[in-house]
Amino acid sequence: MVVVKREGKQNRSLEHKNQKCLGCGICTDICPTSALRLGPILPIARGLLKSDYISINQEKCCLCGLCASSCPFDALEFCINDENTRHMKQYPQWNHNASIDEKECIYCGKCAIACPRDAIHLQRKLPARSDLVFGETEVDLDKCVYCGMCEEMCPADAITIEKNEVSSDKPYVGSSTKIDESKCIYCGICKRICPEDAIKIVCTTCMNRDNIKPVAVDGDIILDEDQCINCGWCQEICPVDAAHVTKPFEGNITFEENFECKGDSCHACEDVCPCNAISMVDNHSFINPQFCVLCGACERACPQKGIVIERIDMRLANVRSTSWDKRLNSLKQSK
Amino acid sequence: MPVIIDQEKCEGISECPGEGLCIKLCEKGALEEKDNQIVFISEKCDDCDICIQNCPSQAIVKE
Repeated sequence: MVVVKREGKQNRSLEHKNQKCLGCGICTDICPTSALRLGPILPIARGLLKSDYISINQEKCCLCGLCASSCPFDALEFCINDENTRHMKQYPQWNHNASIDEKECIYCGKCAIACPRDAIHLQRKLPARSDLVFGETEVDLDKCVYCGMCEEMCPADAITIEKNEVSSDKPYVGSSTKIDESKCIYCGICKRICPEDAIKIVCTTCMNRDNIKPVAVDGDIILDEDQCINCGWCQEICPVDAAHVTKPFEGNITFEENFECKGDSCHACEDVCPCNAISMVDNHSFINPQFCVLCGACERACPQKGIVIERIDMRLANVRSTSWDKRLNSLKQSK
Repeated sequence: MPVIIDQEKCEGISECPGEGLCIKLCEKGALEEKDNQIVFISEKCDDCDICIQNCPSQAIVKE
């Protein structure tokens, strides 16, 4: 974390929050005084160097706040008299966002697994098995020889046999066989494997099917907006269209025409990509634009300069000053 | 194209701000340490240029 502060008519401060920074370098492109420097993103991303992505030259920084307004990931916080300019009506506002509609969500958990920022937290409460299947069980302990075959084969782990060390005062291997009806699915495997016909299983699920209420899975799904970078993974992977993502930029990510990708020898792009949008396929970089936020980290990290980011549109509104508009819109120009 | 280590700029691993970063970054094992110096093994190099791009002393160049 780097902080630049200056006091005068207004108290201004700029804070870089490294835990939110993706190392994309957008702010370094925007800074009019070259006060921001991007560190070695590849060694940092690979964990070979411990360093913040961005360093700020306190002497050069004029505390204009352009960098904070340009960062789509809220990694730079610029305050005037302790008020964050992101919340001030005079300053530009980013309009990208992500949300998960709880009404649509079926709590399948795919988004939480796929999210590259671990920004989705899911807690779900599943119904008891006994709400879904019905039946009766009985073990005839006079017949049971405690062979353990039922216990071993039970797919629901519902059978427990109490076994003991054989000794002269306990000349038997087991003392009880129990079927836990909260786990039993009345499939009948135990009954069929039992060599002594000691188990009775009656499944009454089909008989009762008209009385079984539809079961609702309850849960909570939380999207941590602090962690989310609007990459689109949740939206693409959701089977019921419950996740909605609006990205900060629209545009294209392509390869240079004569790009000789070094693939598995290099994979710098894959390692710096904050969105898990890049993988190595057949020894060549493979970029899925559906998951890309066009941040440009890969473009910078590629030693062959083979990746081209073209930003056509950006969701930054309320840019009131002409000079700021010109500067911020420079992000849109394709390189 | 062979990679050249500029011995004047590279002051050896003990003086390297990245503690031999080029060796750690090279996936092909084309850079090795010998007596605190970087040794380049041409046959292993795949010309990915990661070492050139990331050397903190800018001591690696191509012919």
